[in-house]
Amino acid sequence: MQRKVAVVAQKQINSADVGMPRERMLYELVKSLYEEVGISRDDIDTFVLCSNDFNAGHTISNVFEDCPVGAYMKDETKVEADGVWAATYALARILSGLYETALVVGNSQGGSVMRPYLMMDYQLAPVYDRQLGLLNELSAAGLQAHAFLAKKGLTPDTLDEIAARNLADAAKNPDAFNGKAGASAADVAATDMLYEPLRKGHCYPFTDGACALLIASEEKAKKLTDRPAWIRGVGDSIDTYYPERDVVDVKSVKLAGERAAAMAGIGLKDLDLVELSAKFAHQEPILLEGLGLPADGGAASVSPSGGAFGAYAFNAAGLVRIAECFKQLTGSAGDTQVEGAGYALAHGQDGLCMQHNAVMIMSSEEG
Amino acid sequence: MIMSNVAIAGVGYTPVFVSKRKDVNIAEMISESVATALENTGLTPDDIDAVTFGNMQTFEGLNMPHLWSAEHILAVDKPTIRISTGGTTGMSTLQAAYYYVASGLYDIVMAVSWEKQSEGDSQVGLAGIVMPEAMVMVQHGLDLFGGGGLSAMGGGSTGAASFQAMSYLHHSGADPEHIDKMAALERSNAALNPYAHLRKKTSVEDIQATPFIAWPLRFGHTCPTSDGATTCIVMSEEKVRKMTDGNVAWITGLGSATSDPSTANFLEGQLTDPAEQEPARIASAKAYKMAGIKDPSRELDMAEMYNGFAHQSLMWLEKLGCCKEGEAHKLLDAGALNIDGEIPTNASGGVFSTNAIGASAMNRPAECALQIMGKIEGGHKIPKKIRKAVSHGWGGMFQYVTVMVLADEPMKS
Amino acid sequence: MAYNKDLETREVQATWDVTTYQYKLDGRGAKVLADGMKEKTIRGIKCPQCGRVYVPGPTYCRVCYIDIDDVVDCSDEGVVMSYCIEMADVRGNPMDEHRVSAMIKFDGADTWFIGTVHGIDPMDVKIGMKVKAIWKDVTEGNLGDIQRFEPV
Repeated sequence: MQRKVAVVAQKQINSADVGMPRERMLYELVKSLYEEVGISRDDIDTFVLCSNDFNAGHTISNVFEDCPVGAYMKDETKVEADGVWAATYALARILSGLYETALVVGNSQGGSVMRPYLMMDYQLAPVYDRQLGLLNELSAAGLQAHAFLAKKGLTPDTLDEIAARNLADAAKNPDAFNGKAGASAADVAATDMLYEPLRKGHCYPFTDGACALLIASEEKAKKLTDRPAWIRGVGDSIDTYYPERDVVDVKSVKLAGERAAAMAGIGLKDLDLVELSAKFAHQEPILLEGLGLPADGGAASVSPSGGAFGAYAFNAAGLVRIAECFKQLTGSAGDTQVEGAGYALAHGQDGLCMQHNAVMIMSSEEG
Repeated sequence: MIMSNVAIAGVGYTPVFVSKRKDVNIAEMISESVATALENTGLTPDDIDAVTFGNMQTFEGLNMPHLWSAEHILAVDKPTIRISTGGTTGMSTLQAAYYYVASGLYDIVMAVSWEKQSEGDSQVGLAGIVMPEAMVMVQHGLDLFGGGGLSAMGGGSTGAASFQAMSYLHHSGADPEHIDKMAALERSNAALNPYAHLRKKTSVEDIQATPFIAWPLRFGHTCPTSDGATTCIVMSEEKVRKMTDGNVAWITGLGSATSDPSTANFLEGQLTDPAEQEPARIASAKAYKMAGIKDPSRELDMAEMYNGFAHQSLMWLEKLGCCKEGEAHKLLDAGALNIDGEIPTNASGGVFSTNAIGASAMNRPAECALQIMGKIEGGHKIPKKIRKAVSHGWGGMFQYVTVMVLADEPMKS
Repeated sequence: MAYNKDLETREVQATWDVTTYQYKLDGRGAKVLADGMKEKTIRGIKCPQCGRVYVPGPTYCRVCYIDIDDVVDCSDEGVVMSYCIEMADVRGNPMDEHRVSAMIKFDGADTWFIGTVHGIDPMDVKIGMKVKAIWKDVTEGNLGDIQRFEPV
């Protein structure tokens, strides 16, 4: 990379129902970030918002989001994807040399405002899948889960165990809301069956949430904090539309991971932790395999924050994964802290059965 | 500090921009512009490092359509990002491609923007900007179809544009006839442009024969809704040297800025005059500084403005510093805005004549690039050497502006 | 790859149903304003830092980026900041009776408010003109309490 860039601060809010309009939610979140870092909105060179018209239920969703984040009369743009893409774009803006600081803010209110799984219905190919009405996010995930279990010769017990571990981890993370202390596989297996083999406990929770990241150039980052987390590599890749591809051996995960690792100059096996946006339990091993890691992560802790099981607000989710990596790399992850975390990978996804994947590799040391 | 020079190496339009493409679906239509862009630059799909993609998704009711159309935009296995900022989407998507290249992350990026308005309802799409806010006011007794409600908003954006036009006329000293004249000029320009939608030589009398929607705006002052797509190939300086003949358009300045969602802020009080457009000043000042332009009124050779309504070209010329406040209509009267004038303005016919909305703000810099490269097809080719050009996008709810300055030479490092 | 205007693809229908959302919106400013109208008063929220008065008021000042909640009364007279004369309805059909829609800044406020201006030939309306709110005889505490505006 032609400049060094770091994440300087993070703030996140996650809830089943945040009880506030999104404008107020964003204002309170971003204001608290400014206060914590000791800056004002004047110190932000560029704002990269991350939201989606269908999630917000508003055409041009950033119209009412720019003032709440402090962008009045300021440079601003909007990414309509998962938050990892927005953070990647903010990184590109700083790397260009035109900006020193960028505030990335993603949000949606999937817990209380929009109908569950709505956004995926509108993602279906309009001329076929949407007309047939057979596919939705859950049915597609169910097909993927079956394909995965069949290919690996596993039973749904595996899904229960994955979900339980994530839910138990999430209970230790104060930024997650959907944790369950000491959750067991039996607890998950007792939840309602939605689309066989997927139970409620295997799925991400409907979430109202927002996440703000302050990203800065080396010079600025060192002025703003003693403990930045350095962005070392990014990578993303898109697959063909569902179902015209292998949904178990996901090529875009592999390509995204390889690209980011090459940029960072490390091997993915050097990672100390990965924060994955596995929206459904079976997606965690699929992602790990795509990244070339063993099913238990090997040397890397897998989503110590509880991952997507702790909270999953669309558009904010990928930023939350980066924020969790930031917490780990700066030693501020509390009860979920991975000792000596030096390299971390954050993952975000879009599309049916993880069609589009993006990752960001970060480090505690400047490199 | 600019770390590297970035250029538009080529442009691809759909074969036509028309009100309804019945022969192709959305993905097929977008792929036409992608294929044309590759053909025009002599590149293969493997040469493309990454794709930026944008449209206004609620207009067609499709969430994140790059997922469905990934193969048609040749994005499969490539980094891809979706950008959407309303009317400015096209330029925001191109700016993302600029930053992707300027960052050093990628060398050749394809920026794709489009709209197929015939497959959606743009009035529903526009109403969706403020519908929930308006409904709260209805709960508090607002008469949606009375004088304070949607009809004043024009059921979309015409009503609010009328407030903007009236305020502009008042403060600039221009007459309503100047709007007619600007409309006639741009429609006549469009008649020369094979990629324009409304292609009919139009007189001031023709415009004045159209009925008023809300005085001072007539039907003849408003843009069409179009189907079409535009793709730009954005390249690093190194790749330009290696892979092209050097005839490219350099992106030397860019900016964007937002204010408050003024004209529709039912719930929170409209703070700014819709004709004030401070974001245009902020974004253009930044772009000019970056491009080393000290006096845009003397240094620019052409302008491509985002004008959903005919009065806006005049307004933007002033806000972007192409002339002093209140002087755009004098330039119009003097013929300076004509294709062969001093500062040809919307030689393409503008958004006013062609509006595939997601692509509209990309067509502005694309037209500048083609003029700079001397690759304009059609009679709207400006008969002088274009060295520096300003392009502009406008959207959000009247409050969001993007600017891009293009030039025939890169900035010296 | 050329445009074939005679070739027709099949058309299918799909909708975007905004009624499936349970929107949450800040209603305080609108309520302050509507409640004040019962007393024939225009109420806004003032920013203590920059002094701007918003009608209706948001919960924070967009410029100063601080929370605001000082309710202040404004005059029910104001100035026409801009206007248009509606001559066609939302569907584009000509209207028999033309109507002036105006953006009005109440004295003491910094934001624009929408209303109709009557009691004057539409072509005589001017930006900068003083107008006053004409209230219903019996107000109900909602935005319909202002029937119209008339020149002062």
